[in-house]
Amino acid sequence: MIRFEHVGKRYGGRFDALANIDFRIRRGEMVFLTGHSGAGKSSLLRLLMRLERPTRGRILVAGHDIDRLHTSQIPFYRRQIGVVFQDHQLLFDRNVFANVALPLQIQGVEPQEAARRVRAALDKVGLLHRERALPIELSGGEQQRIGIARAVVNKPALLLADEPTGNLDPQLSADIMRLFEDFNRIGTTIMIASHDLALIARLHHRVLKLSDGRLTGDDATVEEAS
Amino acid sequence: MSAARTPPSNQRQQGQGSRQTKPRRGARSQRTGVNSQLRAWARHHRAMALDSMRRLVRRPLGSLMTMLAIGVALILPCALWLTLDSARLLDAGLEESASLTVYLDTTMQESEAMQMASTLREHTGVAAARLVTAAEGMVEFEQALGLEDALMRLGTNPLPASIVVAPLDTSPQAVHGLSERLAEIPGIDEVRLDLAWLERLRRLAELGQRLTLALGVLFGFGVLLIVGNTIRLSVENRRQEIEVVTLIGATHAFVRRPFLYSGAWYGLGGGLLAWLLLGIGGQWLSAPVQALAQSYGAHFTVPGLDWKGSAALLVSSTLLGWLGGWVAVNRHLKEIRPR
Repeated sequence: MIRFEHVGKRYGGRFDALANIDFRIRRGEMVFLTGHSGAGKSSLLRLLMRLERPTRGRILVAGHDIDRLHTSQIPFYRRQIGVVFQDHQLLFDRNVFANVALPLQIQGVEPQEAARRVRAALDKVGLLHRERALPIELSGGEQQRIGIARAVVNKPALLLADEPTGNLDPQLSADIMRLFEDFNRIGTTIMIASHDLALIARLHHRVLKLSDGRLTGDDATVEEAS
Repeated sequence: MSAARTPPSNQRQQGQGSRQTKPRRGARSQRTGVNSQLRAWARHHRAMALDSMRRLVRRPLGSLMTMLAIGVALILPCALWLTLDSARLLDAGLEESASLTVYLDTTMQESEAMQMASTLREHTGVAAARLVTAAEGMVEFEQALGLEDALMRLGTNPLPASIVVAPLDTSPQAVHGLSERLAEIPGIDEVRLDLAWLERLRRLAELGQRLTLALGVLFGFGVLLIVGNTIRLSVENRRQEIEVVTLIGATHAFVRRPFLYSGAWYGLGGGLLAWLLLGIGGQWLSAPVQALAQSYGAHFTVPGLDWKGSAALLVSSTLLGWLGGWVAVNRHLKEIRPR
């Protein structure tokens, strides 16, 4: 599903945010990306979202070299990726329903069909009863679940999450992770950047470890054994 | 736009489709196809037109201020254009009254002069000829200058009889030709055609037209700046929204759309205000202008916009607003888009 081939990202001509990153994630895998802050987790996700381009190497997603996408194709590439942000990035001027419906609106899904899918996504994250609420009225954990509902509402093949539990207490974090595991169970490929090592250790998934922009650990074997 | 681009992405998904959900989605897209994309496009246009309108209404004072600024910027070139347009009508009237004055030899008797007048009436290229005898000429002269006493002292009438000739063809070349032909007729002392002032007026009108064009371009640019600045602020206010929708796959067109509609609404509102103010201004000026014209013995009404002019004003102001929105949003999207 995802393949990094000797990828490097250099900022300002001197600083290597990522160097010689080489790995492969199969379809339907769930992978954690760890490392201290500044290790390059966010840079790696930004490359995957095609917000930035690698200075060297290739990134293949579903067999396509995403560096070769034309500017006009990028939106259509991004529609196949669900993204969950640390600060959930909900729009506060509209209610929960409209927030979750946003990707479908962008894709031009018929309103009735969109409503059905939004309710399904909200039901999945357990917040169907809050569809008329404004994001500001929700707790941090609920807001993050709405963010997840928005990321999965158009059933993306790939789900990326950048520190999705960064602001949550351990109990809520565990709930959120269980939610990701549910989506993984129905076939979604998931990559989660997180530095919550204790939580990651309990979940027994493959872990990619970054430090100073280099891939220093890839315990793919753990995942395969479990 | 998105209608044309989405099918390839569907094909791509189908090509990879190993998950259960994907083939289903691909099939649905194919069943509805381009038609549903078009409908979605139209739906989003409608939604954004309404949404941007709602946003304007939500802050009425600010919106009105922007529209007033646009309206005021549009009024000046419009008013100048209207004035020129009526001047052109006036010019056409003057051209019809372009006439030659044929001065006869002073030695000519009145009967001979009358005969000359009828000869000229028969002349090709002459529409009408009116004899002004020496005595009549004297009276006109005295009245025009208010010099009765001074001229009385002269004793004899120094003025020749004259014939005012209206040419059939009033174009400058034809009038020139006619005057040359008339001057050759024996008994005619001199032919005067005073077209120079007409020419001058025409030059003035041309200058005015260019001035209007220059002002129109300048103030049109002003409208662009006004709308551009307003849209820039709303782009700034909705920065987070733009970032989020860009991240989840919105096309540039999708992001731009609400701002283009805002710009168009501002333009239309400004155009309507300009139209209203022009109408009120015209009414307000009409009485004194007519009084002034009457004192010169002329008939002149303050021009107003007809339906064609009104439509042109509204369409161009709306387009200007839309263009202003386009420029502003494109400039700022480049900054906002994380590259």
